[in-house]
Amino acid sequence: MTAPRALCRLDEIADGGAVGLCPDARGRATVVAVRRGEVVHAWRNLCPHQDRVRLGWRRDAFMNGEGTHLMCAAHGALFRPEDGICTSGPCIGDALNRVHVTVENGVVLGQPEDLPAEAVA
Amino acid sequence: MRIIGPDEMVFGVDTLEDSKAFLRDYGLEDDGTGRFLALDGTAVTVRAKDDPDLPPPLPTNNNLRQTIWGVEDQATLDEIEAELSKDRTVNKAADGTLTCQDDAGFEIAFRITRRTELNLPPERINSPGAAPGRAANEIGADEDAPARPRTLSHIVYFVPDWEVMAKFYIERLKFVITDKFTNTGPFLRPQANDDHHVLFMIQTPPYMQGIEHLAFHMKGPTELMLAGSRMVKMGYQSFWGPGRHKFGSNWFWYFSSPMGVNIEYDADMDKHDGDWTEREAPMSPENSQMFLFENVEKWAPGGPPKGKA
Ligand SMILES: [Fe+2]
Repeated sequence: MTAPRALCRLDEIADGGAVGLCPDARGRATVVAVRRGEVVHAWRNLCPHQDRVRLGWRRDAFMNGEGTHLMCAAHGALFRPEDGICTSGPCIGDALNRVHVTVENGVVLGQPEDLPAEAVA
Repeated sequence: MRIIGPDEMVFGVDTLEDSKAFLRDYGLEDDGTGRFLALDGTAVTVRAKDDPDLPPPLPTNNNLRQTIWGVEDQATLDEIEAELSKDRTVNKAADGTLTCQDDAGFEIAFRITRRTELNLPPERINSPGAAPGRAANEIGADEDAPARPRTLSHIVYFVPDWEVMAKFYIERLKFVITDKFTNTGPFLRPQANDDHHVLFMIQTPPYMQGIEHLAFHMKGPTELMLAGSRMVKMGYQSFWGPGRHKFGSNWFWYFSSPMGVNIEYDADMDKHDGDWTEREAPMSPENSQMFLFENVEKWAPGGPPKGKA
């Protein structure tokens, strides 16, 4: 296994919030990371409903208004942050693809081979 | 039946402040009551989803609450009331607005249109062999130009049974088919509007019923590109475009919105009259657009290679 890569600091994600990580060559986040206390869940930034469609509506704006779910703003699909399962919307029952991350010493780490190929940073 | 087109789309959301910011940034004018206006007064209205003044929600998670159609005159409203009262309850508000449900279960309303007639210049271009569109010394590329949506153009629904829905708008409200995607639903225009489409529908499972996107007409392709580029620069998520559709010929650029619906800029849509014969094609990427681009960061080639004078 290759050495883990630092993706961001834990304190760069508001507790309960989400940020976009691992930008592609055009600066678009390929990974979405949600924080729940000291735990971070990371997901490929692609909606299972339609290929090419990214979650959210604005840079780092990925959560529904109540802050309970990740949202695909194209058609309103909601995903549970913990297991990525779509609980309402077009792709109900489908799940986001997990990107494995760990938190060590306040840093969110990912395995390079597990990160989207199109991510440049 | 002199229906013009959608006058106002009403949403109930849990992302109220983000939705308002989006609609302002998209270029609509905030009238301070949750209503965001295009230049001609057509509008999108957003309210908190528990607002008691909102029409009831759909049984799905879609945030659309009501489609308000604008009609030419009282005679048209009377005609609609007589027609739809045959098989459903049509409520009449103090201001004369009619409300009911369509055959797919969407909340709809009809009122004498609030849109004002626009008298604005088109996008002007210079084309060899034709008279110049712009006078000498008149500049075409103005990065600081305003880019305000002119009028609500069209809406697209996800529906469980497109045939039931299309039949309602065609037989009861006298919409006309311009073109058709096979097994998916027709592009429709009402009688008092010559735009290629104000209404289109896509068949989906029932749990997806709702609005898929809505679109506003821009001045022209250049203004559409300018408005879309500004949205990208502000960090908004492009969903599809820019590109040019085949059916309707309109340029398009769609953005995901905090209302959970795509909002499109469109420009230069075809006009039709009774002499037109509808076309039909299967719905596919090939048939959905003439070409498709994606915005990239600004870049320019220089002269010498990097590092050499
Ligand atoms: Fe459209």
